[in-house]
Amino acid sequence: MRRMTERLRQGGVFVWFSGTLLAFCLAMILCLVGFIAAKGMGYFWPSPLVQVQTPEGPVLGEITGQEPARGEETAKTQFRVGNRDIYGQDFRWLPTASLATPKCPKDALLIERLEYGPFIGRIVSLSHEGHLVATGPAAMSGALDRLPETNRVRRHIQSIEKGQVGDLNRRIERIRLARRKLETRGDIAALQALDTRTAQLQTTYDQVQTSLEQSRAEAKAWTLGLQTVDGQDKELPLGSVVRIVPANAMGLLDKLGVYLSRLWEFVADDPRESNTEGGIFPAIFGTVMMVLVMSVLVVPLGVITALYLREYARQGWLVRAVRVAVNNLAGVPSIVFGVFGLGFFVYGLGGSIDQLFFADSLPTPTYGTGGILWASLTLALLTVPVVVVATEEALGAVARSQREASLAMGATKWQTLWNVVIPSSTPGILTGLILAIARGAGEVAPLMLTGVVKLAPSMPLDGTFPFLHLDRKFMHLGFHIYDVGFQSPNSEAAKPMVFMASFLLLVVVVVLNLFALNLRRKLRARLGGSTF
Amino acid sequence: MPSTPSHQAHAKRIDRLMAFTISSGGLLIIGAVLAMLLFILKESLPLFIPPQSKALGTLQAPRSGGAWLDESGKTVVLLSRSEGLKALRASDGTPLPVPTDGPARPWRTFTALNARGESLVIGADGRLFLTRMSWSKPAGENDPAKWTLEPHWQGSLPMAKTPDEILHFRIIEGGGLGGASSLRVIARTREGLEWSETRLDGAMAPTWRPLPVAPFLHPSAAAWSLDGRDLFVGTREGRLLDLDPETGNVLSSSEFEEPIQSLGFALGQSSLLVGGAKGKLGAFQRVRVNDVFQLQAFHTFARLDGAVLGFQASQRDKRFLAWTDREAVVDHLTTERRMFSARLEGPGIAALAPRGDLILHANEATGALRLWSLDAPHPEVSFGLLWGKTHYEGYEKPEYVWQSTGGTDDFEPKFSLVPLLFGTLKGTLYAMLFAFPLAVLGALYTSQFATPRLKNAIKPTIEIMAALPSVVLGFLAGLVMAPLLEKMAVEIFVYPFMVLLLAIVIAPFWSRLPLPFRNAFGSGREVLWMVPVLLVGVWLAALAGPWFERVAMGGSYRTWLQTALGVTYDQRNCLVVGFAMGFAVIPIIFTISEDALSSVPKSLTSASLACGASPWQTAWRVVLPTASPGIFSATMVGLGRAIGETMIVLMATGNTPIMDWSPFNGMRTLSANIAVEIPEAPLHGTLYRVLFLAAFLLFILTFILNTVAELVRQRLRRRYESI
Repeated sequence: MRRMTERLRQGGVFVWFSGTLLAFCLAMILCLVGFIAAKGMGYFWPSPLVQVQTPEGPVLGEITGQEPARGEETAKTQFRVGNRDIYGQDFRWLPTASLATPKCPKDALLIERLEYGPFIGRIVSLSHEGHLVATGPAAMSGALDRLPETNRVRRHIQSIEKGQVGDLNRRIERIRLARRKLETRGDIAALQALDTRTAQLQTTYDQVQTSLEQSRAEAKAWTLGLQTVDGQDKELPLGSVVRIVPANAMGLLDKLGVYLSRLWEFVADDPRESNTEGGIFPAIFGTVMMVLVMSVLVVPLGVITALYLREYARQGWLVRAVRVAVNNLAGVPSIVFGVFGLGFFVYGLGGSIDQLFFADSLPTPTYGTGGILWASLTLALLTVPVVVVATEEALGAVARSQREASLAMGATKWQTLWNVVIPSSTPGILTGLILAIARGAGEVAPLMLTGVVKLAPSMPLDGTFPFLHLDRKFMHLGFHIYDVGFQSPNSEAAKPMVFMASFLLLVVVVVLNLFALNLRRKLRARLGGSTF
Repeated sequence: MPSTPSHQAHAKRIDRLMAFTISSGGLLIIGAVLAMLLFILKESLPLFIPPQSKALGTLQAPRSGGAWLDESGKTVVLLSRSEGLKALRASDGTPLPVPTDGPARPWRTFTALNARGESLVIGADGRLFLTRMSWSKPAGENDPAKWTLEPHWQGSLPMAKTPDEILHFRIIEGGGLGGASSLRVIARTREGLEWSETRLDGAMAPTWRPLPVAPFLHPSAAAWSLDGRDLFVGTREGRLLDLDPETGNVLSSSEFEEPIQSLGFALGQSSLLVGGAKGKLGAFQRVRVNDVFQLQAFHTFARLDGAVLGFQASQRDKRFLAWTDREAVVDHLTTERRMFSARLEGPGIAALAPRGDLILHANEATGALRLWSLDAPHPEVSFGLLWGKTHYEGYEKPEYVWQSTGGTDDFEPKFSLVPLLFGTLKGTLYAMLFAFPLAVLGALYTSQFATPRLKNAIKPTIEIMAALPSVVLGFLAGLVMAPLLEKMAVEIFVYPFMVLLLAIVIAPFWSRLPLPFRNAFGSGREVLWMVPVLLVGVWLAALAGPWFERVAMGGSYRTWLQTALGVTYDQRNCLVVGFAMGFAVIPIIFTISEDALSSVPKSLTSASLACGASPWQTAWRVVLPTASPGIFSATMVGLGRAIGETMIVLMATGNTPIMDWSPFNGMRTLSANIAVEIPEAPLHGTLYRVLFLAAFLLFILTFILNTVAELVRQRLRRRYESI
């Protein structure tokens, strides 16, 4: 007994206890990152299509989940049966016990299409403009042969719709605005000139539309006759097929091919089906653009503040005030920045800019509504302390001898800073910038108030003058996660997309952080000692 | 480069310029923080600007017994027994055309115009008419300012008997007889109180039906409820009755303590305004208490000078006008605040414009019309309403409620910040309960016991944890953890005990191992040994959970919670938030604490160890107390983060603004509330400003926490330097 109390007093147990808590923390992090990686990366791998017999009929689909028996509940298996247009739901829970021996029929297919999620079933026939061309296995191989061509036509249509048509629409809109201004002034000659321009544009527009119609008819010419496992027929134009995956008949290499092509689609394509399918390219692009604009704003501000604090300010209440300010900027909740951004930048600055420069298009706001510029400005304010702290540390690390050498040579203070101090503290500034970018990329709350949207019709950077459109709304990876995961009508089907987007965001943020931390460690090794 | 004097001068100029630029740039940061603070404050301050009123002038008009102001405040409508209906321009008193049909003059009796501009009139020939106001809209004109007001007459029903005074009438749209609008009138006749129901199209002859009231009560005012099924009657004895007109039964009654002079309704027609003969002013409502509808006094207002003669409600918010012979006031129902008060020169009739921004008084004796303007952009908010309990319409008792928007126009907005602050504190508390021990003990372990190699692996891992975007944490908490916790609540509850059990089982074996082995592989590497134990613990918990649930909780923990503790379990609850937010807070507390703990001077620990203290004793009794200010400051910064965290709370709670400490329900925090509501809040509206006030509150809270943390940290730094 005495030995026990003595042991307790010595506290070896408590060391173990605190070690356990730490182990728990570390395990949590690793589990979390591993879980997201597994869920996100695994989704694109073609999983086998399993056919089972149930009392209500056969069911064909991917197995997506298992639930063990518990209390009164029996064990259940979740099938992704697809065919939302036929069944009305993507997923079905079946009692595991009632499932007879599962089969993996070789001719079962998963067809990714533009609408209603995937089709799961078989190809029965292939027809061209209503004439039957092939049936059975021949139909499938025919469809696979035709698919690249129809996909090419579809891309062509999309690019025309987005590029030429959008461009024409914008030009017509601009003329309409110019007209409105001229009408108030009553300049008849100019008005007529505008009218002829409009007419010209209209003809071009009509021509584009005709060629579009042709392409669309072409895309619709080939149709697939499909059949679900329980014998329901479905016609599907080949033009709306994205990918045909005969998951059970594929080798490892084929599967890898599908995996990579899906991954590419995810990274490089536009979203479909209210963001639950397709890619997230606009979100990636929007995030990158926003972060870039933010960097342009945050670096000068942060570096100048750090220079002031380290090099120019005389120690006193003012410096203390600046430090308190910087510290508080770092600690103030991001939503408060959002509120400030909304009130000051969007409604205040944006509203004034609209009244001064874009009065013609009022009451439709140009800058007086959320946009990428305001979002970036808000985030720049939010991330300034990160840059300040990192830059200060780097400035402090520059050897005294170097400065003194420069000053002794007769260089002014600014020359010393510019030619000696700043170059050797570039890694520190870079660290700060990378950390700021990582923070900015992961922040969502302030963006929700200052310009993020779930689906942006056009990018903030494109081929129309003036190329960089800082007034446009944009999509963002983090907001995409929130929106698709929580605001989507079909959130169960959208979950894999959310996992994938989370994984991507996580990778970006973690890689940036590791990079910055590494840089900082090297810098600190040069400086030596702790920074507390 | 040759160093010529001009070159030097140039360099000096540049130097001065840059010094100026950089200094002003540094000050810009203070400017930015101050600008943020002041801007947010500036946007919320108009909430507290007291209402401004201004006398607009006096017009001369025919003497009248009824007055009404139109929506835009351009037109005044007056009623008088001898002259009938008159309309005039409010700016200069120019008469405007009025319909020439209508009741024959002189009128036998009429009611004052109500807020919608309706009045019942019985003409010289004993026929009943209703005035209604409509707008004549020029073709294609969408600007209401250019529309013209057109009063018109409806009805012409022959009345068998002319009452002495019509007390109140209500038009029941559609819900009355045969789907058409019906009219219910309560009046005083020679026989006492009588009421009738009729149709304005004349399809039903009005007949008077007596309303029996106890003989010892003397009714002085009456008003129909919104659906016309109840009749409220005020008596000279100071009793307020809720009667069923069909049977005359008293459904409920209440005491007013003063002879009742007049009755009226606030917007929405559910709050009954009661005015006393000696100036008492109160509001009553029919509310369900213990499943029975009762009349309940739920607001009292400052007394008036003299008997309260009438009411008129604004059609935009819950403000109303009340007047006596000597003064007219505008009060707000919800906040009980007096927004306007003016002395009158004599008895007369007062009116409030539907927007509530203009007040009119028509002097009975002289015919003088006086006008006042009232500017009160946010009357529905007061300091007491934001921070105190308020008795809202339809509520049994005063409560803290946040409900900013409702389905109808006559909705009473409820802007109490208390439930939101409560939600913020609750979420923060659970997050800190989870994060604080893990982070501080983890930091203590890392700084004092871990081997250097392990330390170099742990610290970056925790820093990565700090970088995890909160939207990812929120998504995991909301869509993965919450369903998992719902399914496996018992397993997760059992888990720590299983780990403890496992440790107790293993410990004797470990202590039997030879000391050199333990020293070489155990000390400083406890973390690594515990990882498999934790994993086996998961497996054990998965086995023991269902068993425990069956044996101790009767098969279902939800039923058990419900019956044994009386709490319900929501899927997105505080445990999930606490866990996910704890995840975000742990790295912050860990990093700052770890810095403070490792910076404790070596001399102190060496002295302690040299005196024979064990490493744990040294860590617990020497290192921890010395670094406690650092840990305190870490906790403050962590608190600041938890208070302001938005995305996790937004995604992992149900965002219901309830006040309940139970860890199994959700809440709504200040930050999530801003994120949810500000995109829909109209610019410079009340909600917009209240949300800015919430942001200001968050700013101040975190400002205090961060400043305290920074000051404490600076003191600690000086202390370390002095040791």
